[in-house]
Order: sequence, then C-alpha cells, then structure tokens
Amino acid sequence: MELSYAVLAVAIAAVLLVGMLYNGLVVRRNRVQSGWADIDVQLKRRHDLVPNLVESARGYIAHERETLEAVTQARTQAISAGANVAARASAEMQLGGAIGNLFAVAERYPALRAAENMQLLQEQLTSTENRIAFARQHYNDTVLEYNTAVASFPRNLFAGALGFSPAAMFAAEESDRAVPQANFKL
Amino acid sequence: MTALCVLTALAMGIPLTLVLTPLFYAGTLITADVVSYFTPLPPGFWDTMKEVAYLAVRVGDYLFNNKPLDPQLLGIGLGVLLVPGMVIALALWMAILALFRRAGVGGALTTLNAREPNPHDLRELQLANVVQEMAIAAGLPAPRVMLMDSPGANAAAIGNSPADARIVVSRRLLDDLDRDQMQGLLAHLIGSVGNGDLGIAFAVTTVFETCGLLGTLINAPFGPHARGTLWRIVRYAFGRGASGTPAEAEGIAALLTGDLDLQSDDIDRFFDSGTRRGPIHKLLVFVFFPIFFTNAAIKFTLWFFLTALLGPCMALLWRSRRYLADASAVQFTRNPDGLAGALRNLTQDETAIPGGIWASHLFVVSPGRDTSVRQDKPTGEQMRLVARAWAESAPVGPAKSAYTTGDYVRCCAELISTQRAAVGGDATALARMTAFHGVISTLVPGPIAQSLPDPADLTAALRGDPAAIARLQNQQESMSRHGQGVQKRTGFQAESIVSFHPSLKRRLQRLERMGAHVDWGASQKWSATKIIGTTIAVLILGPLALAAAALMLVVVAMMIMLNLLFLALWLFAIHALFGLLAHR
Repeated sequence: MELSYAVLAVAIAAVLLVGMLYNGLVVRRNRVQSGWADIDVQLKRRHDLVPNLVESARGYIAHERETLEAVTQARTQAISAGANVAARASAEMQLGGAIGNLFAVAERYPALRAAENMQLLQEQLTSTENRIAFARQHYNDTVLEYNTAVASFPRNLFAGALGFSPAAMFAAEESDRAVPQANFKL
Repeated sequence: MTALCVLTALAMGIPLTLVLTPLFYAGTLITADVVSYFTPLPPGFWDTMKEVAYLAVRVGDYLFNNKPLDPQLLGIGLGVLLVPGMVIALALWMAILALFRRAGVGGALTTLNAREPNPHDLRELQLANVVQEMAIAAGLPAPRVMLMDSPGANAAAIGNSPADARIVVSRRLLDDLDRDQMQGLLAHLIGSVGNGDLGIAFAVTTVFETCGLLGTLINAPFGPHARGTLWRIVRYAFGRGASGTPAEAEGIAALLTGDLDLQSDDIDRFFDSGTRRGPIHKLLVFVFFPIFFTNAAIKFTLWFFLTALLGPCMALLWRSRRYLADASAVQFTRNPDGLAGALRNLTQDETAIPGGIWASHLFVVSPGRDTSVRQDKPTGEQMRLVARAWAESAPVGPAKSAYTTGDYVRCCAELISTQRAAVGGDATALARMTAFHGVISTLVPGPIAQSLPDPADLTAALRGDPAAIARLQNQQESMSRHGQGVQKRTGFQAESIVSFHPSLKRRLQRLERMGAHVDWGASQKWSATKIIGTTIAVLILGPLALAAAALMLVVVAMMIMLNLLFLALWLFAIHALFGLLAHR
C-alpha cells in the first residue's frame, strides 16, 4: 500500500518535471519565432526604403547606372527569396552589400552627400542596417539559447520526439559574404 | 522585491512601535475612562489592562536587566509591543503603493518642457533611431523618447513598466556624444528597463514615501504645512483631472520626502512661546507636551533609520542595478567603448537637470560632479598659457613676458564680461573672442579650448539661435563656478550617506574588464603619502563615526524613555481626574 503511494508520488513528480521542461522549450521556441519576425520587419523596412534611396540618388548620379541597378536588382532578389532562412540571409547580404556600395559611390559626389534629404535618408538606412544587425544578434542569441536547451540533458531525451528540432542561425555562407567591391574608376 | 519592501516597512515599524504602542495604550485607557464614567466597566477589564502594562515592564526588565521571564509571556509581550507599529507601517506602505502605482516613477520629468524628437533634425532623428535599435537588441517594445531642452547633459528612463517606459534625454546630450556613445548610453537605459529597474525604483520610492508619510502624519496635529500635504494626498487619491496626474503624484512625493528632514517648522511654531499667544494656547502646549516628545522621538528615530540604515541599503541596491544595466548595455551593443566614452563625457558636466532634482537617482550619471576620475581642471602651466593667450589676442599685443595664476583669474573675469558683450551684439568683443579662440586652440589644444565658448556659437547666438544661447549660458555658469566645491547631492539621495550612483571610476573599471579601452590619465596613481594619509584618516574617523552612531542610538533611547515618562505622567493625571469624577 505504502509502496504504491510512493510510486504514484514519483510518477506525478516525473510528469510535472517533464511538463515544466516542455514548457521551457515552448517559451524558447516562441522567442526564436518572434526574433525571426523582428528581423523580418526590419528587412521589410529596408526593402521599402531602397526605392526612395535610389530615386534620391538618381538625381545626382544618374550615370552610375550599374551601381543603382545592382541595388534595385538585389532588392528584387531579396523580396523573392522566400522563407528559407539560409537563402534569405544570403540574398539580404547581397542587398546590404549593394547599398554599402551605393554609399561608397555617393561619397565621391559632394553635392549628393550634402543634400539634406540624402542625409536623413542615409541616417534612416544606417539605422535600418543597425536594426537588422541588432535583430540578428537578438535572434541568434535566442536561437543559441533554444538550441542549447534542445540539445542538453534532460531535455534532449524527449525534445526530438516532441518535434523540437534545432533552429538555424541567421548567418550567410562564407562564399556569399563577399561584398561587391566599389568601382573606383573615374 | 516586494518581499524586501514588506520587510523594510516592518522594520520601519519597530522604532515606531516603541512610541506608538504606549500612545495606543494611553488612548485605550482614556477611552475606557470616559466610557466607565457613564457605564462602569467590569473590573476584569481594568485587570487586563494592568496585566498588559505590567507585561511591558517585565519585557523591558528582561531586555535591559536580564531578569528571567517565561518565554511564552515574552512572546506575548513583544507581540503587544511590536505588532501595532508594524501593522501601521505596513498599512501606510500599502496605501502609498496603491496611491502611486498608476503614476510610476519620474512623472514630473515629462511635464518639464519635454517634447517629442523632431524627425527633420538629423541628430534627433538619430536619437529616435538609436532607441529603436537598442530596443530591438534587447527584444523589448521600443520606449517613447522625450527631449528636454535643458543645459545639463543627462538621460533617464521613467515610467512604471517596460510596456509604457519613456526615455528622457536632454538635448545637449545629442551635441556632446557621438553615435556610438549615444548607443551605449541608451542601451544602458533600455537594459535597465528590461532588467525591471523601474519596478525597483518604484519600490524604493514607496519606502521613502512611507517614511515621509509617517513623518507627515505625526506632524499633522501641529501645523498647517503637514495638513496641507495630507489634504493634497487625499485630493490626489480621489482626484479627477489636474489633481490626479503623475506630476501631482511626483509633487506629493517630493513633499513627503521633504518632510523627512529634521527641520519641522510646524512644530517649532506651535511650541514657540510667543508673547501674543493666549492662555488657551499655553494650556494646549502644556497638554500636548508629551506628544511633542513622541513626535521628536519618532522623527529622530525615522531619520536615523533612514540615513544610516535604509538609505545606504537602497543606495547600494540601486548601484548594483546600475552595474547590471552597464553590463546589459555591453551585451546589447557589443561595444564597451561607447558606454565608457559616454559616461566619461557626461560626468564632466556639472549642471544639474532642472526639475529632475527629486528623481536624480533615475539618471544615468549623478547630476552632481563626480570626482573619482581626474577631470580637466587646468594645471598651473595651463592657467598661465590661457592668461598668455588672452593677452596675445588683445589688439595691442602682449604686454608681459610672464603670467601668473592670478592673471588667469583676472582673465576669466574679463573673458566672461567680454563674452556677455559679444552675445549682446558688440562687434569688437566678438572679434576679440574669435581671436582668443584662435590663439588658445594653437597654444593649449585639448579640453581647455573646448570648454571655452565657440565663436561659431557666438555668431549663432547673435542671430538668435536658442540652442547656441543655451550652450553659452551653460558655459558661463560652469566657468563662474570654476573651483567651487562639489555640488550638493539632490533628491532623496540626500537622505542617504551613500550616493545612489557608483563612482565613475568603478564603472569604468568594470567596463574595462568587459573590454573597453579606458584612458586613465594621471588619476589612477595613488601616491604613497595619499594612501597613508587616507588610512590614518579612516583609522581615526572610523571609530569616531561608530561612536557617533552609538551616541545617536543612545539619544533615541533617551528620547523614547522621556517620552514614556511624560506620557505616563499625563495619563496618570487624566486617570486620576476621571477617578475623582467617578467616585464623587
């Protein structure tokens, strides 16, 4: 009789423990998802700012067609990259590189640099770049925490069975990271 | 945190209880006297009362003379002695909590010409952007940003929860810091919000306010000032419209903590035996004299408790939160140099935030001057150079070959008057300032030249640019204050002997351990004589301070004893009076 009570107590404790561990995993997975959504918001913001930037710059450096088109093209690619984290990351890297290139070119045109509209726009884009970087940082931090939780004992005993698979970090492949070089021929 | 506050409130009740319980007992006795005048009470009641009084005597006997006492009786006795004060303190604390919960902390800051950042101004747009960035890095909802057009450079986080937090930044901060430094500073603030510091600040405030409310309640029978405060609280509690705003809450809070001071005009006025007072007043004074002692004893105990115990504890707690927020800032920005540079820049500034006086603990750096790291006070050599530059910039050319520090003082005075003239529109004065600025930046490059007014600002001020005028005024103030001592600590920081902000040096040391590059200059080297001198001073002053604290406790105890004695006499007189009346 007493033995059965002990067994019952142990069973209840085990169920409670697994429940708590499971809830911890759910919380972390949701954090990862919301982190990803945050990056997404910032990436969209950049997509929205880019046409504005290109239009403002075109007035001053219409003849730098290659640079401007590279930006527009990179944006189109980034928008159509889909939901795959790795593919999306590399497309966004391309866009970031193209925008950086455009600013490098703009440095050579004092009139463009000094235009107030351009300054505000540049600040917005700088901030967007920062936001993407910080959102990535936050996302990667949450992914790190989630992956550690999934892979560490005792959660690893049941995490896979309950459908918690490790999440991917937002990082591009080494080959994709090559930033297009600014064309400094005059 | 809440548990901690409950504990503090209970602890606050202990000194209170020593005074309140006898008072409560006396009140009960008098009521019983009055009641028994009309309908005689059963003798059992009087026996119980006597028993209770005797219990108190025996507990005192046990505590002071080590007379043996039954533990059960001791427990009851201590309970009777301690519980009423604790209950009252706890009830007051809960009332304060309920009262100010919706106001949060720092509400008054927003009413002080705070405005939204202008998206067409590059620096203000940058500020708004940096706040958004840091909120993203912290994974928090972005707080609202408010700008204050005040001369001091500082920033604070206010509100009562991360969801409605606001960040208040003075406009000058944007001119003084670069983007990285601003990022570090705002990461500190947002990190602090994310760590739940707003709740802690609120709790700390409520504890101080409870202390203040106790003081006010005790003062209330004596004077209009305390009654006015109480009336404002009541109006706030049931207030609609203007009297229910966060700013009003802040005003009340400031009043309450103001009542913590030992100066009590109300009491002094009441007991001031002026010649014009009538006999009724004199009788009142005689009757209320024990209460005066009660009042003084409670207030003195509270003050001691607050300054020597509660204040330092809260200050240390708050300091550890600052370190934590610094660490969070580094975690978010991954750049310890930004915050280190910002802290350094801000502590060079000695201008207090107007209106932020009461809430000064909420700011990133203490609005006073921090002396823990050597600041740019001119050396003798630099003073002579400045004096030389001033003479050389004069139209007639240099008249002397050597300059003394006396010349520097004279030159500062001349500089200020010339600058005033230049701002007033005097063209020659403006030319002189420009010439001086040219000479000084070649002779003494560095912070001295930066601390002088910029000629560009002068011309801008002539055109009526308010920002330039504010900068100039601030510079003038700091110049005329040059050499004066450390600014007085403000707000309820003054209630604690320990500052609410860690010293710049410690913060920089911690940031350095996290990878910041700190230029210590000459400040870190302690000469042997200085170390020996400090050690001797500590050795001598330490025991003295301890003795002073012990003496204070003795004074408190004596006050309480005197208070009890007077109360007993008073009670005895009344009791005898009623006894006579009843027997007749």
